[in-house]
Amino acid sequence: MNLLKRLSRVRWLSSLVFLIILFTVTGIINPTFFSYENIISAFNSSVVFTLLAAGIAFVIMTGEIDVSIGATMGLSAAIAGTIAQRGGSIAEMLLYAAVLGIAVGIINGVGVAIIKVPSLIFTLGIMGIVRGLVYVYSGGRTVENFAGDFTNLGSKTIFGDITIYYSIVVVVIIAGHLILTRTRSGKNFIAVGDNIGGATLIGIPVVWTKVLAYILSGIFAAVAGVAFASKYGQVNIVAGSGYEMSAIAACVLGGVSLSGGLGSLLGAGIGAVIMSTIGRLLVFIGLSSDFDNTIKGIMLITIVVTDALMHTRSVEKARRARLAARASSHNDVKVDSADEK
Amino acid sequence: MGKSETNEKLLCIEKIYKSFGSNLVLRGIDLELKAGEVLALIGGNGAGKSTLMKIIMGIYQSDKGSIYVNSKQLHLSNASAALAAGIYMVPQEPMLFPNMTVEENITMGFKGKQSELKKKIVELMQSIGWELDLERSASSLSIAEQTLVEIIRGLLREAKILILDEPTSALTFDEVASFFKVVKDLKDKGIGIIYITHRLSEVFEIATHVSIMCDGIITLDGQVEDFNREMLIKGLMPSNCEQKEKAETELKTIDYKNLKPVFELKDYSGYGFNNISFGVYPGEILGLAGVVGAGRTELVRTIFGRDKTLSGKVLLEGKDITGLKTSAMLKAGINLVPEDRHNHGLFKISAVSENITASMLDRKDMGRFTLNRKKERQLTSKYVEDFRIKVTDNGQLAGSLSGGNQQKVVIGKSLSTLPKLVILDEPTRGIDAAARMDVYRIINELKSKGVAVLLISSDLEEIVELADRSIAVFNGRINREFTKKEITMDNLTAASFGLYKDQEAI
Repeated sequence: MNLLKRLSRVRWLSSLVFLIILFTVTGIINPTFFSYENIISAFNSSVVFTLLAAGIAFVIMTGEIDVSIGATMGLSAAIAGTIAQRGGSIAEMLLYAAVLGIAVGIINGVGVAIIKVPSLIFTLGIMGIVRGLVYVYSGGRTVENFAGDFTNLGSKTIFGDITIYYSIVVVVIIAGHLILTRTRSGKNFIAVGDNIGGATLIGIPVVWTKVLAYILSGIFAAVAGVAFASKYGQVNIVAGSGYEMSAIAACVLGGVSLSGGLGSLLGAGIGAVIMSTIGRLLVFIGLSSDFDNTIKGIMLITIVVTDALMHTRSVEKARRARLAARASSHNDVKVDSADEK
Repeated sequence: MGKSETNEKLLCIEKIYKSFGSNLVLRGIDLELKAGEVLALIGGNGAGKSTLMKIIMGIYQSDKGSIYVNSKQLHLSNASAALAAGIYMVPQEPMLFPNMTVEENITMGFKGKQSELKKKIVELMQSIGWELDLERSASSLSIAEQTLVEIIRGLLREAKILILDEPTSALTFDEVASFFKVVKDLKDKGIGIIYITHRLSEVFEIATHVSIMCDGIITLDGQVEDFNREMLIKGLMPSNCEQKEKAETELKTIDYKNLKPVFELKDYSGYGFNNISFGVYPGEILGLAGVVGAGRTELVRTIFGRDKTLSGKVLLEGKDITGLKTSAMLKAGINLVPEDRHNHGLFKISAVSENITASMLDRKDMGRFTLNRKKERQLTSKYVEDFRIKVTDNGQLAGSLSGGNQQKVVIGKSLSTLPKLVILDEPTRGIDAAARMDVYRIINELKSKGVAVLLISSDLEEIVELADRSIAVFNGRINREFTKKEITMDNLTAASFGLYKDQEAI
């Protein structure tokens, strides 16, 4: 009973249940979906989305948003691609990715947390700038013909059929999850999103926490770019555009509240698996994968609206219960207290 | 040892100046706090109390002046510096994290082992005699409970200097009593407390020292023993206006025989109140007394169409208007001055003039297609002059006014529709004495114009002063009705707390 109650509070569990339901329904409609490879590849193929979702989860938890991640990912992928063309190492790519991610993150963080421009507007502008840089950097051409075995790295497996990439991502997610829920500085992200005034008052460095969230978001997006380049073996100029919506939807599906203060990286990771497999599930159900983005959008809206409705309802219910308790209170002094209950 | 400690200055503030733009808010504040003192800081809104507290907490930085804690000069550049120096503030409106549990809320940002902290919290709560489930989420707490959590937060930090900003404003009678016990405990432990309040009775009950702030300077300070109530009131008020007002209210008594109520409630029930029946007559001020949480605010919210009516009837001039939408209520001739002017009353980033005309934009004389600016100006000037609203010009943003002037703007907005019934919910909460007198004058003027006024207040003195008739609400029910003669502090207090019994009345 108590355990059940506590479990129901863990938001990412319901996302996991949703994932299982989604797979089950697809499997019932088309039994060929139920194969070991399909299930495993659903997870393996979610590396890029998982990284994006985990990064933006930090920002969303603080109550802000970052729509520049798709562009950051694209630029990082293009840079990684040119490094791969001349046979550079993956360490080099990650170094460049980190620098890019930190730079974009700091700019976003300063704009939102210090100059206090609304985050949607500011990161939208940055998205435009970074996307423009992708064009400039690659001269409008697709970056391809990578040297070495960079493109094969993505399919190398460890622990059975799980790819190295996904294993690393899982470790990162779990580590991040523990940092967020178990450490003092990790809890700051949630606290800032929950009540920014209260956070200031108990000495939490609000501005720095937000800047840090953007930096993390930038780094995760840029690293996702490296994974993207490795996975597809080519990077065109629009790589990653629209991915921000999928990442945001993944977070929301995973129980990260868009108003901040609620959510976990584990949830974001589960949401990312759902987001990256929707296209495939559609094919198994017998629909065109052209519906991919539409379905994602519908899911995002549905969940956000349901979440908002449930929230207002529970608040209202709690309020009414409290009022009713008060009005029909115990030791009444006198008068017609014949309560209709 | 105790003596040498009391001589130690915990906090010493010298010549603090602060201005926002061209607006000089603090003009050389000096303040001293020793261990074991409770310094009551009183003064109107806009006097600069909260600015001063925010400077002490490191949220704002002063332009000039210095702050010493334990004789060491400090540069408080942010809240954590202040917390590290042993200063903790319990804000007026609790600032909890709604999505976290009570325990997380208390330990958030706190260094130390979780299990030990929890033990300490439980001990603290036991020693105070408060019970709170640590696993509850903060969003389910009442305002009083939230305040308690804030206080426990400060106690856990073992702050040496505790700032309490109107801590009792949302507490019930019992809670206040146990809260005062805590404050006394803390005082004995040598903690210095700055206690901001608007309730003068609390000053004498709890404080050792008192300072009155007015317009950014401290106008009066000293030990509480050297003052009495009248002296404090005098210190707070820009004199002269007070006595005349009283004389006016004493004069008229209403002859109810020839009157019909404008507004009637019949067995009215909703969330938070049951079977309420009463009438309000034209030219009458009906005082609705009761403690916070008795169901008064819920009652008016429901009348005004903001919540669901469960049963009963609302009549205006004999017409059934039960359950109408808010816009229809406005048209019918009821207007409400809400309790919470920040969230429900004021359009903060709009001009004063736009605020005042906001609820009458439907009317034809405000223009058919485009708004009639001239009319807007006229109306605004009329209310600004009548109500003595302090503005630089009518286009000033309403949010930049002081609390009292904001409230006058909200009242102006409600009266601009020329309602038959005005409901005033806590019209003078959190505004200074001068503005309060102005609001009383406005209310009396309404009455003399024949408007029916329903005045809700937890400040019982206000009801004694203004009301022609009064009813007391307790636990969502009408506990007792009083005629003008019967309205006394004693009667009202007893009835509000559910202590008034018919037998005693006879």
